[in-house]
Amino acid sequence: LISDGQQCPLVVVGETGFQVSDEVYTVTIGATVPTGFENTAAEEVQEKIGANAKISKDRGRIYFQITTDKLSQVHHLRSVDNLFVVVEEYDNYQFKDSKEETLEDLQKLASKLPWSDALKVWNMNTTLKKKRGPHRQPQGPRGRGRGKANKVTLETDTMQTETIEADIVETDTVETDTVVTDTVVTDTVETDEVPGQELGAKVLKFRVTCNRAGDKHSFSSNEAARDFGGAVQELFQWKADMTKFDIEVLLNIHNVEMVIGIALTEESLHRRNITHFGPTTLRSTLCYGMLRLCKPQASDVILDPMCGTGAIPLEGAIEWQQAFYLAGDNNDMAVSRTVNNICHIQKKRRDKGSISGLPIDTVQWDLCHLPMRTSSVDIIITDMPFGKRMGSRKNNWDLYPSCLKEMARVTRPGSGKAVILTQDKKCFQKAISRMGGLWRKHHTVWVNVGGLHAGVFLLKRTLGIFGQIAEDSREGKESKPHEEKPGEERKKE
Amino acid sequence: MKLLTHNMLTSHVKGVTKGYPLLIKATEVKVSEEEFNPNFVSRMIPKLEWSALVQAADGLGHLQDLPTELIADYEANEDFLRKVHRVLLEVEVLEGCLQCPESGREFPITRGVPNMLLNEEEA
Repeated sequence: LISDGQQCPLVVVGETGFQVSDEVYTVTIGATVPTGFENTAAEEVQEKIGANAKISKDRGRIYFQITTDKLSQVHHLRSVDNLFVVVEEYDNYQFKDSKEETLEDLQKLASKLPWSDALKVWNMNTTLKKKRGPHRQPQGPRGRGRGKANKVTLETDTMQTETIEADIVETDTVETDTVVTDTVVTDTVETDEVPGQELGAKVLKFRVTCNRAGDKHSFSSNEAARDFGGAVQELFQWKADMTKFDIEVLLNIHNVEMVIGIALTEESLHRRNITHFGPTTLRSTLCYGMLRLCKPQASDVILDPMCGTGAIPLEGAIEWQQAFYLAGDNNDMAVSRTVNNICHIQKKRRDKGSISGLPIDTVQWDLCHLPMRTSSVDIIITDMPFGKRMGSRKNNWDLYPSCLKEMARVTRPGSGKAVILTQDKKCFQKAISRMGGLWRKHHTVWVNVGGLHAGVFLLKRTLGIFGQIAEDSREGKESKPHEEKPGEERKKE
Repeated sequence: MKLLTHNMLTSHVKGVTKGYPLLIKATEVKVSEEEFNPNFVSRMIPKLEWSALVQAADGLGHLQDLPTELIADYEANEDFLRKVHRVLLEVEVLEGCLQCPESGREFPITRGVPNMLLNEEEA
């Protein structure tokens, strides 16, 4: 619990009218992460911030404490999608039985909450963001209805604007993907607001987003957001605006756990590296989580044989530069997008004055006939095609064993690893079970990708030499699994 | 295509047994700076086919003073490691092709990307 109404010796009035001081205090930060990767995210927080993260029972969320002077560090975390500062948390909130009473409680709650510290953090964060310059505007209308104007500009003559088919984000809403660009960020951009000058001049706009999970609630998330929001508006005299808001208040309810927070990230950080999207581009946070699982070491040769737009190897090349990445695909568009995405990052780095070269190369190939020397690869990391969206269930049945064999050939026996994301878990596990001489299952992380349940399989390459193991040859007359029933249509990702 | 990548690529045309190393025919080569990491280079060296690397660099006219034989105790020799770094990561073939030494089959390189796809008959 953070107490309200602290006395600050140095008081500077910021643009919002809230008191901003130089005093340093501790706050709780919440972060949403790809479901299944809570542990890797907690590891990153420990590593980069030195804080012990608590993993919420509400999947996909972690919490940790920081002192306010370290606020900027949270924006360097690569495993988190969204960040928020906690206003208050309840482990065991007693919701009343009736809807009316519950909603009334929520309304009354608004004025009792310790807003002050969280709002100061929000304010600090806003200032921080301004100093970093106008940041990229990813997709257009996304997820929870945040409609920011989508900036689409023509890139250099090596790239083209393209509209790519829609992609689904975890909140089950369709985003339209388009080519995006950064406005050039110069670190010396100064905010032109001097504390004190705009005292009370600006009325803040806000909205409330409610995420609710649980069987025993008498109310819907919309109702909670509406009523709680109403009370917040009365309390602060802010203006409600669903799309052009300054402050987003979060009301997260998971059974009897309730967390009220204020968002610190405007757009989700999850697509940070990719400007040229494809139909199946993975979130960068998910890529990061997968890479962390395989723990890249210096001089590791890391191969993505079905790289799509290059999201995974590119995240690796940026974050674990001591390894070398080979991104490959058979598809012309995928190869082209990968090259464009890499060029884009390199250009950004050049513009910032850093050395632009990244330890990554792209090749066009067929993953069942990899043009690679035997045992030349240390790690294979990839997102395998999902069921009906990219391949088909029937194709996967044939594809998986051939892939796995070829991947085993190129991977170093004994030390080699593979980290493979697939939604076709049954097919994959079956294929692996027939490869015991070459691959051994080490660990599996169950994740959620675009509303679909998938598995990230961590495999270790056995000491078995390829070509000398009986089990690496496919048994002939295996009967195929029955075709998927029509009712089991998968959502397009 | 960096020479590090080239060092690992091989021809996989059906029936070919001596598909490595691929011959480089470059029409456009670029040299760009990449951050030097001595640990990366010294650990990578044992994974390389040294003669293939030297041959490739020489063919592009970028051998400079890289020794044709691996020197002893290279881990501590920063000067040497920097030379290897340059050849492995900073020299890139943007346009041209890779040729299978046995079958003569050419694989085009466009925008730095070698296209190693085979036709049905070749696979």
